[in-house]
Amino acid sequence: MLPVERIIGEEGLSASGDGLRLAMRLPWYRSLPFSIVEIEKVCIDGQSVDLSNARVEFDGAVWPLAELGEQTNAFWFVRDSAFLHIPGQTATPGSAHEVSLSMFISPPYIPGMKRANAQTETLRVA
Amino acid sequence: MTSTSTGPQTGVTLYSFTNAWLNRKFELDGLLKEVARRGMGPNIEIIGFQNFREFPDVSDKFAEEFKVMMAEAGLNATSCAINSDRFLKPGQQPIDDATLVEYHKRQLRSAKKMGFGLVRYQFALPVELLPQIAPYAEELDIRMGVEVHAPMWAGHPAVQAYGEMYDKLNTPYLGWIPDFGGTASRIPESMLNAARAAGARESLIDKLKEVWLEPGMSHEKAGRLREWALADGHAPVHIQAASLAFFILSHNDPKSWAALVDRTIHIHGKFYGMDADGREEAIDYETILPLFRDGGFTGTLVSEWEGHAYMPDDGFEQVEAHQAMCRRIFAGG
Repeated sequence: MLPVERIIGEEGLSASGDGLRLAMRLPWYRSLPFSIVEIEKVCIDGQSVDLSNARVEFDGAVWPLAELGEQTNAFWFVRDSAFLHIPGQTATPGSAHEVSLSMFISPPYIPGMKRANAQTETLRVA
Repeated sequence: MTSTSTGPQTGVTLYSFTNAWLNRKFELDGLLKEVARRGMGPNIEIIGFQNFREFPDVSDKFAEEFKVMMAEAGLNATSCAINSDRFLKPGQQPIDDATLVEYHKRQLRSAKKMGFGLVRYQFALPVELLPQIAPYAEELDIRMGVEVHAPMWAGHPAVQAYGEMYDKLNTPYLGWIPDFGGTASRIPESMLNAARAAGARESLIDKLKEVWLEPGMSHEKAGRLREWALADGHAPVHIQAASLAFFILSHNDPKSWAALVDRTIHIHGKFYGMDADGREEAIDYETILPLFRDGGFTGTLVSEWEGHAYMPDDGFEQVEAHQAMCRRIFAGG
């Protein structure tokens, strides 16, 4: 996988207060506003995860996933991970899980371009 | 930025090192030092939205830190690439003109604050908004070069429209930044090899080479290849790998750059791979660079390796070979 195609972040999967936290990377060569990012699907051990109450955290800010499309002036720095908080999911620290993530990005200076990215990794819960 | 030389300069854009940057192999100061250590400067270009966390609104504090980093590395902040992000909500109308104008001004302010002498901007900025932005660039004393990037070339209608506006505004603060991907002579073999490695069959590669040479708009040609390939039983993933060529390279006359030399303020030396004889595999530099050398261009050509779109290499050796070629041709060799 090329660096520019990576979407699961180096920080991997961890247990958080109310669920799980998954590190995500932006699959592009430059920072882009969060409004053009669409998280399509997360599967853990082959099971699709309910994202209706998920949140996205970046650089101290947190937004409901459902409102990501409104974030036209919050830029995802291309070097940094953003974190997807998935409430209601539990996993034992140290256990390994197969995690699949898929997302779309629509670069805001290339009208009509929508790129699909997907990645599956076995991650150990931190 | 000072220089006693009167001929074209060579430099590098940090975009060439996208792989090493995304892999977090370097922090910004470390990458600048590596570029300096390898003698690739002193003139460099940086994409604001690639290397600056605070872009588009850089703080005074970071601007000062950046100037110190550059001074310590002995590099010149020659060009800052800015973006014309109009489509902030996919599938919806572009942002309004006033917001887009202000978006450019924010980036111009940041670039100036960090010490850059010029910005690269994009054709996604509607030409009729230039009269609202050019006076601001003059006020800040920073030049703006629009990047003539594939599928654009000197003969493209959008370039003609910008040329007419440039004539009307008649200011030395506006110019061109040629990107040679618009006049490629062939598809880089390294790109074809990446498609082969991804599983594309030779019949698909052959058809790609044939369609790429045909006249027409890039997206139409990509559509033609897709239609043929699906009917011929090729997998969508292989078609996608093969179609990259349509979106980053166009087949136009290398000599056509002659029309833009006079207003060229900076150059993107786009390249993909250097062969054993020190020549670029797809772009005819031996024809293109003398036009600028003999036409009186005295700005900087930054080496821009884009093989990271399909290869994992870190780009350093490729840039060294490319700079050697450019210096040879600029010296008359």
